[in-house]
Amino acid sequence: MRGRALALILLAFLGLIDTLYLGIKRGKPVPCSITSGCEEVLNSRFSTLAGIPISWFGFAFYLTVFSCAVFATFGEGWVLKLVFWPILTAFIISVGLVGVQAFILHAYCQYCLGSAILVTMILIASPKPARSVSAG
Amino acid sequence: MQEFFFNLSITIFAMPTPSKMKPLLVIVSAIVVAGIIALYLSRQGTAAGTEKAAGDGSQKAAPTAAAGGGGRVRGPADAPVTLLEYGDYQCPTCGLYHPIVTELLSRYQGKLKLEFHHYPLVQMHPNALAAARAAESAGDQGKFWEMNDLLFEHQDQWSKSASAETIFLQYAIQLGLDSNRFMQSMKSPATQERILADVTRGNDIVKGTPTFAINGQVLQDLPGLEGLSDLIASQLKTLGK
Repeated sequence: MRGRALALILLAFLGLIDTLYLGIKRGKPVPCSITSGCEEVLNSRFSTLAGIPISWFGFAFYLTVFSCAVFATFGEGWVLKLVFWPILTAFIISVGLVGVQAFILHAYCQYCLGSAILVTMILIASPKPARSVSAG
Repeated sequence: MQEFFFNLSITIFAMPTPSKMKPLLVIVSAIVVAGIIALYLSRQGTAAGTEKAAGDGSQKAAPTAAAGGGGRVRGPADAPVTLLEYGDYQCPTCGLYHPIVTELLSRYQGKLKLEFHHYPLVQMHPNALAAARAAESAGDQGKFWEMNDLLFEHQDQWSKSASAETIFLQYAIQLGLDSNRFMQSMKSPATQERILADVTRGNDIVKGTPTFAINGQVLQDLPGLEGLSDLIASQLKTLGK
């Protein structure tokens, strides 16, 4: 469990940096870069939800995972079992956002793709909920 | 911002740390460190920073931009301040800046001119070059700015279209242009060469679109309407106009 928690701490910390960076970038006009489609994605109508940049939702997600993993390393292992469903939800949303970049915007933001990879790795590293075993 | 994070770090580490506080301390510290790293990364590539762009006229001078010339000019030729723009019609940020530039031309009527240069980012924006050709082709019949406005104002209409050239032809008809001459200009190598000449001229200074320069001083960041207005006002003051 401790190994998983440490992996989650590292991955979620990278996610915090990624989403904070996107949040800072999103707050001001960014030029269309010669080398990346990031600005295309950040300026798109899919980059906000109810007026809030989705990177801040990502930040809240990574902060939740990070906090639970930190508490787990300090002996509160049970909290990690709470985060599987939020992680699965984040993974499904990430797949959707990669789909938006690929099929609607036809532009890719490396930071958004990086976040999707981090969420995937977090899903792999997270402890799965225990399956109920029926007596046979 | 960096000072805020620094002070916050000092406060956190100065606090007494009972064992139950340790996880919270780690979490808050991680947010602070992540914030500092993100802020540092976001500042990369905007060498002069937003503060410099806000109006003390200390931006890096760009001889290529200062040389100016070419491009399409909107406003009086003898206007004391020139706002140079390297733009891409398919770039959403250029679209956002179109009403800002229009407002500035109106606010500083007679004192400001816009010198627009094409810089289509063809790898990102598949219709950008055709849009630039449409603007130039309309320009051949004296309606460059009318087409320029249509392209920016209806960016959503043609940006992702597989038949953008048909839409441009509709705009040409809407503007009362000779459609045959328009299509000939669209296909003319001379039109393409004019656009490529703009791109070549901009290669030394353009890192993204739009890139602005005011009287030859390239802006390293993108100020908003009031930021640009302050820079123009400051130039006019310096020139005593």
